[in-house]
Amino acid sequence: MAEAFMAYPELRNPFDAKPIHPEGSATVLYQGKSITLSSVGQGDGLLIDPSDLTQINGFVLKAQGACFEDLCIPMTDDVLIEQDGKQWFSLTAFAALLGQPFVADHEAGVWSFAEIPAKRENMMLNAQAPDFEVTDRKGSVIRMADLKGKKALIVTWSSW
Amino acid sequence: MPVWQRIYEEINDPNFVLICAAEDTGGEAAAGPIFDAANPTYIQVVDENHLISSAFNFVNVPSAAWIDETGRIVRIDEGTYSMIHSFGEGEQAISFGTDVYEPALKDWVAKGADSEHVQSPETVANNIRQHSSDQQKADAAFRLGNLFRMHGQEAKADEYWAMARALNPDSVNFIRQNLTLTEEGSAGETFREMMGEYISAGRDYYRPLDIKA
Repeated sequence: MAEAFMAYPELRNPFDAKPIHPEGSATVLYQGKSITLSSVGQGDGLLIDPSDLTQINGFVLKAQGACFEDLCIPMTDDVLIEQDGKQWFSLTAFAALLGQPFVADHEAGVWSFAEIPAKRENMMLNAQAPDFEVTDRKGSVIRMADLKGKKALIVTWSSW
Repeated sequence: MPVWQRIYEEINDPNFVLICAAEDTGGEAAAGPIFDAANPTYIQVVDENHLISSAFNFVNVPSAAWIDETGRIVRIDEGTYSMIHSFGEGEQAISFGTDVYEPALKDWVAKGADSEHVQSPETVANNIRQHSSDQQKADAAFRLGNLFRMHGQEAKADEYWAMARALNPDSVNFIRQNLTLTEEGSAGETFREMMGEYISAGRDYYRPLDIKA
């Protein structure tokens, strides 16, 4: 075999096996965030407490539906669900309404959501930079909105 | 990285922001020393989940977006080389990169909208890669795999990274990032075979650089 080049054997599996979340919880991945939900409903999809919606994807439940900025999605019976007298919000049914892809590992109780297509329309149609949020090496949060008023060059690279 | 620090210092404009994002699941351990060696003063991000590539539909590194003061993208998705790199000698010699990108960047920072290198919204919108629903789903699969890797669940990490590669075969980032965890690394025989298939399939990993010398 050729000599390893740009390989990182010490990084192949540097992490100890540890639980992703406490038993009975679920984890949602979205836009780089990992959110542990201590309370989820029973069913095929991901049923969350409606009060968790905003911390996950920024949508707010209002009389007219689930809203983010100018976008409001009217609620349907498969999104807002009653179960044993408690109301749940089906994040997976909501994703279907939004055309938002996701991947779930039911065994581990983890749902990973891609970006919401409506949030990217302004980039795809009008070349407006997309919202993003990353943390720099000093621990500062960098958001697209923070760059307004300046020219910015965003370059990707990698160690590999 | 040192070359970007030099360019950043030469531009020396308080209204210009340079963000370098390492698309590296290896995290600080893999990317940090390379950043540090450059003594950078620009914004450095170790982007373990490839969020920047996902946001701009990039499929390879180095890729970049130029964003003006209003938040409009004025150039995107070009191989962002700041110089010509040459390796080897004779028949083994290879070179890649360009020496026209840096002057174009400096021209834009100095002249803004009057720079000949500013592209129209229509051109930029056409140059942004159109990602299918499956390709967007690939980003979700990649992050799921990365979560499992960080929790020591290697088999599940491999499963979801393989899913990401299958859903977005255009992503050189996914191919090479995955290979860093193999014995032969990200630039061995497997990589060369995969890139041979990639190119044979007519895929491109950068837009052609549309900057005149």
